[in-house]
Amino acid sequence: MTFHDILLQQVINGLSLGAMYSLLALGFTMVYGIIELINFAHFNVFMVGSFIAMFVLEGIGLRGQARVLTGVPLVNALVLAFGITMLVSGLIGVAIERTALRPMRHVKGTAAMITTIGISYILFNVILLTVGAQAQNYPNPLPAGTWHLGGAVLRLREVLLWVVSLALMAALHVFVRRTKMGKAMRATAQDQEAARMMGVEVDQVVMLTFFIGSALAGAAGLIFGLYYNYTSFLIGYQAGLRAFTAAVLGGIGNIVGAMLGGLVIGLIESVGGQLLAVRWTDVIIFSILIAVLVFRPAGLLGLSTPQRS
Amino acid sequence: MADVTPTPAADVDAGAAAARAGAPWVAQLGARLLGPIQWVPAAARARVGAGAALAAALLFPAVVRNGGDIDAMANALAFAILALGLNIVVGFAGLLDLGYAAFFAIGAYTYGIVASGQVHPLWSPLWEPLRWLGLVGRFHIAGAPDTVQMHFSFWLMLPGAALVAAFFGILFGAPTLRLKGDYLAIVTLGFGEIVPIVVRNTPTLTNGAMGLNGVISPQIFGYRFGVNALPFYYLGVVMIALLIFISYRLKDSRIGRAWMAIREDEIAAGAMGVNRTRLKLLAFAVGAAFAGATGTYYVAKLQTATPEMFMFPVSVMILVMIVLGGTGNPAGVVVGALILQLLQSWFLQDVTQWTHALGRLVGSPWLQRVELVQSIELIFGIILVVMMLFRREGLIPATRTTAALSLAEQAAQPSRGGIGVTLSGIRKVELPVGTPLLETRGLTKRFGGITAVRDVDLVVQPHTIVGLIGPNGSGKTTFFNLVTGLDVPDGGRVFFMGRDITGRPAHEIVERGIARTFQTLRLFNNMTVLENVLVGMHARTRASAVGAVVRPPSVRAEEAAAREWALEVLRIFGNRLLPRVNHLASSLSYANRRRLEIARAVASRPQLLLLDEPTAGMNPAETMELADQIRSLKEMGLTVLLIEHKLGVVNDISDRVAVLDYGEKIAEGRAEEVQRNDDVIRAYLGRTSAARV
Repeated sequence: MTFHDILLQQVINGLSLGAMYSLLALGFTMVYGIIELINFAHFNVFMVGSFIAMFVLEGIGLRGQARVLTGVPLVNALVLAFGITMLVSGLIGVAIERTALRPMRHVKGTAAMITTIGISYILFNVILLTVGAQAQNYPNPLPAGTWHLGGAVLRLREVLLWVVSLALMAALHVFVRRTKMGKAMRATAQDQEAARMMGVEVDQVVMLTFFIGSALAGAAGLIFGLYYNYTSFLIGYQAGLRAFTAAVLGGIGNIVGAMLGGLVIGLIESVGGQLLAVRWTDVIIFSILIAVLVFRPAGLLGLSTPQRS
Repeated sequence: MADVTPTPAADVDAGAAAARAGAPWVAQLGARLLGPIQWVPAAARARVGAGAALAAALLFPAVVRNGGDIDAMANALAFAILALGLNIVVGFAGLLDLGYAAFFAIGAYTYGIVASGQVHPLWSPLWEPLRWLGLVGRFHIAGAPDTVQMHFSFWLMLPGAALVAAFFGILFGAPTLRLKGDYLAIVTLGFGEIVPIVVRNTPTLTNGAMGLNGVISPQIFGYRFGVNALPFYYLGVVMIALLIFISYRLKDSRIGRAWMAIREDEIAAGAMGVNRTRLKLLAFAVGAAFAGATGTYYVAKLQTATPEMFMFPVSVMILVMIVLGGTGNPAGVVVGALILQLLQSWFLQDVTQWTHALGRLVGSPWLQRVELVQSIELIFGIILVVMMLFRREGLIPATRTTAALSLAEQAAQPSRGGIGVTLSGIRKVELPVGTPLLETRGLTKRFGGITAVRDVDLVVQPHTIVGLIGPNGSGKTTFFNLVTGLDVPDGGRVFFMGRDITGRPAHEIVERGIARTFQTLRLFNNMTVLENVLVGMHARTRASAVGAVVRPPSVRAEEAAAREWALEVLRIFGNRLLPRVNHLASSLSYANRRRLEIARAVASRPQLLLLDEPTAGMNPAETMELADQIRSLKEMGLTVLLIEHKLGVVNDISDRVAVLDYGEKIAEGRAEEVQRNDDVIRAYLGRTSAARV
C-alpha cells in the first residue's frame, strides 16, 4: 500500500466513524438547542441502544457473523433492527426527560447537567450488572462485498452505513425544516417563553427532542455494533465525548453543524491517528474541544440560537 | 402594617426555596430532633462538634486495631481532602470542575517523579546544591557516567506539589474561566482527560501505563512510614484538620464571600467590586493545591502511581462526595467523602458476601456472581440523581436556618423624614471648580442593528440628584451598564471626577467610587443580608487569601470595621433590615430586597450612586419613605443618578432630570421644565396627545 492508499483507506474509515459521530452529535446539539443542557446521559443511551439492537438481531435468529443476509431479508432485518432500537432508545430518552430532567428545567446552574451524569452512571451499571463486563460478539448479517480503490478497500457494509446515516439525517432535516412540529422546535430553541405564548406546547417539544435525539443515538449504537462487530458497556464514554466534541465543533445547537462536526472528528480520529500516533488521538480531539470552546464558542457554523447568559 | 404585599416574583422565589428545602416532613423531623441543641450557642456547638470529631479521629486506630480498616480509613481521608478542595471550586466559587482528578494526578506525579528511581539524569555540578540539601544523591557505577538519584523529601514536596498543582490550576484556568458554567465544565473535563493520557504517553518521565514504582515513603525523625497505614492515617487526620480549618477561614472571609457572590450572580459580583477573573483563578489554584498535596500523600502511601488512578470516574466520585455531603459546606463534604469511601471498602464487600450466600441458598447463579463493589458507580449515579431531585443542598446544608422573627421585630413602621442617622463612611467629595462628578460625551451602544444608546451627553454635578427618565426600552439601563463597566460602549467616553473610565472593568469602576443597584434585583440569594452588604465592601477591604486564613490583627480589625460599617449602612432603613441580618436574601420581601440592593451599593462608600428603579414594587408609603432616604443620602454627600418611572418621586427629589427616548437624550433640565417639553410629552404619550396639550 502506498501512502496515498493508506490515506484513502483512513478517509473511508473516518467517514464511517464520522457518520456514527454525526448521528450521536445530533442528540447533544438538539437538546442543547432547546433547553441549554449538556446531556451526559446521551453517552450511555447510545451504549444501551447498541445492546437493544443486539438483542433484536439475536431475537430474529442472528448470532455472531456467521449468518449473512442479502436482498429483501437483509432489508427486513435492518428495518426491524433500526426501527425497534430507535423506538426503544427514544422512549428511554423520553423517560429520562420526564422523570429526572423536567423537574430540573427551571433550576439555574449546573444541577441538571450533574443529574445527567448520574443517569449516565445508572444506565452504564444496569448493563454492567445484567449483561456483564465482557465485550459481546455482535450479530452482523451484512454481506462482505468489497471494492478495491487502488490499494484501499471499500466494504459494502461501510456504504450501507453511510446510506442509512445519510437517510436518517436527511429525514431529520426535512422534519425540522418542513413540518409544523419542526417549526415549533425551532421556535422553542429561539425563545422558549415566546414560543409558549404563541401556543407551542413546550413540554411536548422538549419530549420530542429527547425522543429524536435518543432514537438517533440508538441508531448510532447499532451502527457501532455493525461496524466494529462487538459492543460493550464501556463504549459510551469515548464515542460520546467525541460526538460531543463534534457538536461543539459544528456549533452547539446547530443541526447541520453537528453533522459536519461528526465527519470532521471522524476524519481527525482516523487520518490524525494515522499521521501522528493513535495514542495521541484523544489529546488532539480534546485539544480541539477546548480550543473551540475557548476561542470560538459558536463553533464552525455559528450558533443557531442566541446565547443567553 | 405589613411590610409589603408579596409580588409574583417573591412567590416564585419562595417556591424555589421550599423546593430546595426538600420534603417538609424531613425538615420538621430534623427541627424536632435538633430542637434542644439549638439552645446551645452556635459557636460553642461548632467547637464541641469539632473537638468530638477530632477526638474520635485520634482514638479510631486504638479502637479498631485492624490494619486493613485503618488503611481503608487513611485512603478515605485522602478522598475527603480532595472533596474539600473541589468544594472550594464548586461549592464556594460555583465553578463546576469535571476534571479535578487531573490536579490529583499532577500532585501525585510531581512527588512520584522526584522521589523514585524513574528519572536519573547524568550528574553535573549543577546538582551539587540539591545534593548539599540532601534532596538528590550521586549514583556511581563503575564504567558508566555518574547519574543523579532523586530522593526529595516528602515534607518538602507536600507543599511543593501543592504549588505545582496550583500553577497548573492557574495555567488551565486562565484561558477558560470566562466561559459560562456548562462550557467550563466541559473544558475541565477535557483537561481531566488530557492529563492522564499525557502521563501514559510520556513513559520516560512516568513509566507510562506500567506506573511509577518504588516511590519513597515519608520519613520523620528517622522513622520511615513504609507500608504501615497508621502513620499515614495520623498524617491524614492532621492534613484534613488543617484543610477544614483553612476552608472555614476562607469561607468566612472577604475572599470566601467574593467567591460565593460569583457563584450566586457573577455580573452582580463584578458590579460590587469583585475582580472576577482573579478570584476565580484563586479558587482554581487553591482547589488544585489541595489536590496536589493529596496526590503526594496518596502516592507516598501506595508507593506507586498509574494513569488509571486519575481518570474521569475519580473526578465524578469526588463530585458525588460533595453533592452528597452538602455543596459549600466543608464539614458536610468530608462526611460525604467518608461515607462513600467506607461504603466501598467496608459495607459493599460485606453485602456482596451476603448476596453470594443468598444466591447459593436460592440457587441463583446471577446472585452468586454479582460484584457490588464494582457497581459502586450505580450507587453514585443514584445518589447524584436523587440528591439533585430531592435534596440539592446535600445531607448537611451549608446555609443555616435562622429563627423566625417575633411579631414586634416583623412590624415595621413606615417612617418619614429620611435616614435620621449619619453614615461615618460617606464623605463629601471635593472637586476642582468646574469639574463635574460624572460626564459622558457622545456615549453610544449598539446591539446588532439596534442602537440602544445614541450620542448621549450627560453631566452630573456633585451633591445632586439627577433623574433619568424615559419610556420602557429607551436605553436607561444600558446607559447605567455603560457607566458601570458591564457593557463596553461602541463610541463616546465616560469621565468620572475628571478621569476617563471608559471601558474599564466593573470592579475597577466600583473602586473609583461608582456603585449601582439593579432594576431586576441581582442579590446574592443564598447569602445572608449581612454577607450581601459585606460583599459590597469588597473594593474597600484588602485581606488576601493568606490573610483570611492566618487572620493577623490587621485582618481582624478590617473585618470588624467592615461588619460595623455594614450594620451602620443597614441602619439607613430603620428596622426593616436590621432584625434580618442573618436571614438569607432570598427570604426577604420584594421591597426589602430593593432596600438591600441599595445598602449593598452604599456599603462600597461610593461618591456616585446609580439607582435603577429603586421604588419598583413598593406601595405609596414605602415609596415616599425611600424617596426621603435617598434625599438624606444626598445631604450626607452622595450624588445620585436615578432611573425611576414614578414621576412623583422624580419631581420630588431630583435637582435635574434627563429624558431618554430611543437611546437619545431628548430633554434635560429641572423637573417642571422637562415636563412641559413637547418632545417629552410626545415620547410618553404619543403625537396626538402632544397636539392636544
